[in-house]
Amino acid sequence: MSHIQFRDLSVSYRRPKSDERFLAIDRISLDIERGSFVAVVGSSGCGKSTLLLAAAGLVSLASGRVVIDAAPVTGPGGHAAMVFQDASLLPWRSVLGNVRFGLEMRRWKRDDLTERALRHIRMVGLGDFADYHPHQLSGGMRQRVNIARALAVDPEVLLMDEPFGALDAQTREVMGNELLRIWERDRKTALFVTHDIEEAVFLADKVVVMGRDPGRIKDVVQVDLPRPRSPDMLDSETFVTIRRRLRESLAEDMASLRLVTEGV
Amino acid sequence: MSLSLGKSADGTRRAPGVRLLRRWPLRRSTTISLLSVLIFLALWQTVPALGLMNARYTSQPSAVAIAFAQMLGEASFYGHAWVSLQEFVLGFVLALAVAVPFGALLGTSRQVRLILDPPLMALYIAPPLVLLPILTIWLGIDMASKVAVVFLGAFFPIIVNTGAGMREADPRLVRAAQSFGAGRLAIFTHVLVPGALPSIAMGVRLAVGRGVLSVVVGELFVSRAGIGHLLQIYGSALRMDRLLVCALVVSAFGYALTQLVRRLEDGLRSWRAEP
Ligand SMILES: Nc1ncnc2c1ncn2[C@@H]1O[C@H](COP(=O)(O)OP(=O)(O)O)[C@@H](O)[C@H]1O
Ligand SMILES: [Mg+2]
Repeated sequence: MSHIQFRDLSVSYRRPKSDERFLAIDRISLDIERGSFVAVVGSSGCGKSTLLLAAAGLVSLASGRVVIDAAPVTGPGGHAAMVFQDASLLPWRSVLGNVRFGLEMRRWKRDDLTERALRHIRMVGLGDFADYHPHQLSGGMRQRVNIARALAVDPEVLLMDEPFGALDAQTREVMGNELLRIWERDRKTALFVTHDIEEAVFLADKVVVMGRDPGRIKDVVQVDLPRPRSPDMLDSETFVTIRRRLRESLAEDMASLRLVTEGV
Repeated sequence: MSLSLGKSADGTRRAPGVRLLRRWPLRRSTTISLLSVLIFLALWQTVPALGLMNARYTSQPSAVAIAFAQMLGEASFYGHAWVSLQEFVLGFVLALAVAVPFGALLGTSRQVRLILDPPLMALYIAPPLVLLPILTIWLGIDMASKVAVVFLGAFFPIIVNTGAGMREADPRLVRAAQSFGAGRLAIFTHVLVPGALPSIAMGVRLAVGRGVLSVVVGELFVSRAGIGHLLQIYGSALRMDRLLVCALVVSAFGYALTQLVRRLEDGLRSWRAEP
């Protein structure tokens, strides 16, 4: 059985300043295998974050369900840990304090908290920065802390919502390689949202393309590149073919979006 | 730049050739403030002496200094200062103890906010001194009525800023905490409270000013002791020198306390400072 199952999942939100609700994602079904790395791409507003929040138990569902490890997700704090885009670190806590924070919230035993946090801080290459505060770190370093914080709680599932979205292209590439290196160690089931197609293909075993209005899955593409991945695969035929297909799927969406905005 | 004395405000540039002044120990901004105070004192001292103004109405720095020395030798002065200090501290501590928890409630509960916001705002804008006659009728002319008016003066800045600090908590931080399974209490203690501390400290700082004002005006209104009472006595006796000593003591107290809270605030905000 798949590790994560989305079954006919719909999530609705209230429109601002009215009681009317709209569907952010509409009857999505998706299976994610244990130990696989799945990337989600799609234009902004198509419900990628919502999908992740549903897996994390952070939104209430309008219909359907999310099942992780054969158990329906009913609330936050269970199997999944989440890495957000920038600015989700507590600014008044040090790097160590932030990584400890996740462990404290998950009620890990006190005595090995610091030890465990430090081990994960070293793992993401920030061993010398444990006492720094977030405002003293670069964007890339902050995201390393975010990743360390999520992995420290030893989640079954790692959910990442555009974790490198605020980084420059070069740092992004470094972080992608780094993430894969860390991920290869214990291959936790990973769900990774990005708007960067190359990043998606480079990292993932499977790329899910979402479309909008309402949010739904348009395409699922298997990435048959061997692991460990290396930057020279970016020029391989497989890579280029997949990238083209993804670009086309996304372009349709962009085209319809343009029609909508021009029509108004 | 011709007046540049050693280190300039940014501490880097030096005016070339000003050898003698290079070791001037104060920063440029401090120097200018100091100079302006000195010039003011000099004018104040000389203008009445030249007969251009009546020292009876303006006094002189030297007269004020002498009065200050005299008052420091009078036991009654300490008695009055002690009464005012007690009124201030009691009222302020009470305000802190009540306003912070209620501010937290205000910042975290929509219902409480809907109920309390309009009356709070009305009271925040109206000076609590408006209630002085009523408080005096209820609590008498001694310390209790002053404690109450300090309480009211300090209460509103603290409650309003505590509430705002909690309400403006970063939703991204709240969500991140939730994703790790933090419940309402954990979010309150680990996200809302630390995030609101600088704002609470700012409320406290504003409250210091209002509290000091409240003590003095409360005593001026009607009292039998306190610095405000002294002001009343010296005022009707036309003792400019002693009136100014009282004014100086009050503002020095308010200034010192405000600076202390500002320090605290800066410490609390240090995690926000850009490197
Ligand atoms: N808390 C919310 N309240 C109301 N609408 C929301 C909320 N969160 C997201 N939305 C809306 O739902 C849609 C999907 O949002 P999201 O999942 O964040 O998309 P994505 O991450 O793909 O950009 C968007 O139209 C967005 O404006
Ligand atoms: Mg998003």
